[in-house]
Amino acid sequence: MNLKKEIRVSTLFISLIVSIMTILLLPIFLDFNLASNSLGDSLLNINEIETNSANGVTSVVTYFRGFDTLGEVTILFLSIFGIGLGLDGYRDKLNIFAYENRLLKSSVDILFPLIILFGFYIIIHGHLSPGGGFQGGVIIASAFLLMFLAKGDEFSLNHKIISITEALSGAGFILIGILGVLLVDRFLGNFLPLGTIKELFSGGVIPLIYIFVGIKVSAEITALVEYFIRIKDVR
Amino acid sequence: MLDSFNQTQFLHSVITIGSLLIFAIGLVGVLIKKNLFKIFLSFAIIESSLFIYFIGMHFEVEKVAPMLTDKVTKFSTNMTDPVPQAMILTTIVIGIAVLALALSFIINYFKLTNNMRVDDMNELGDEK
Repeated sequence: MNLKKEIRVSTLFISLIVSIMTILLLPIFLDFNLASNSLGDSLLNINEIETNSANGVTSVVTYFRGFDTLGEVTILFLSIFGIGLGLDGYRDKLNIFAYENRLLKSSVDILFPLIILFGFYIIIHGHLSPGGGFQGGVIIASAFLLMFLAKGDEFSLNHKIISITEALSGAGFILIGILGVLLVDRFLGNFLPLGTIKELFSGGVIPLIYIFVGIKVSAEITALVEYFIRIKDVR
Repeated sequence: MLDSFNQTQFLHSVITIGSLLIFAIGLVGVLIKKNLFKIFLSFAIIESSLFIYFIGMHFEVEKVAPMLTDKVTKFSTNMTDPVPQAMILTTIVIGIAVLALALSFIINYFKLTNNMRVDDMNELGDEK
């Protein structure tokens, strides 16, 4: 009882100190001005010559900062790998989140292909509109989540196919980077014709990279969903 | 009167104070909650406040998204900075990955010890 009181006092003390420091530092926070010549402005200036992608954020993510995206995808893969090591034996476990709902069960067969199609649309149009590989991949994984909720234990994934898909798409990303070294000057360089801006076949390697990233992210998040949704041990 | 609200300085102050408040909510959750799940979800709330701050402070009035549409036909300096948005896109994905890994650790810890409260964690020996 005494210990609990002590923790409450220390919590109050820390909150008091943090709030006093925040109020003291608030003028510095509020006196914020953006730099007039930023990196983004120069990137936007050369965007039309270098990439011909209609979406500035996409060309930064996949072209100007392509190494960043490679590292990010690697971190995602490593964390899913760690989760798989911890929560193994998913085959013997029960799905505790399924709903016994007739409406959901009959509508999921119509909705599932449509959501997958929408996810691929978002992935493929990543260089033309808001969206891209990460967002579309999560949409595809949400279709599988709906399947798990509706079908319960009848539906289970083939993890071999998921691993192969993930490995092939990751290898495709690296392969595009190495082709950039071989055909042009540097890793993840553009070796394809740029095309006309605001058309589907434009932007050089950007749509290819985002398609590989999208397939990889969708496979990883789908595996993650299955690990977390089959959580109950069969006793 | 509404024009005075539509100033970059005013919107930046609103975003700063609001994201600091969200940060405070997350910090209080980390400090006073005892359940491991709630502590890590509070970390996710802190993370979202940083996303709001980073994206919001690079917004300026009368600048458009860095994207060509039917109305905007040319890339120019009249667009918001795309680099912070791309970096926050990276950070969101990494945040999801790390949160999922932490939650799986919590599940494994609960399976091993049947305990999810911070106060009762004594696997490394009792506090002296």
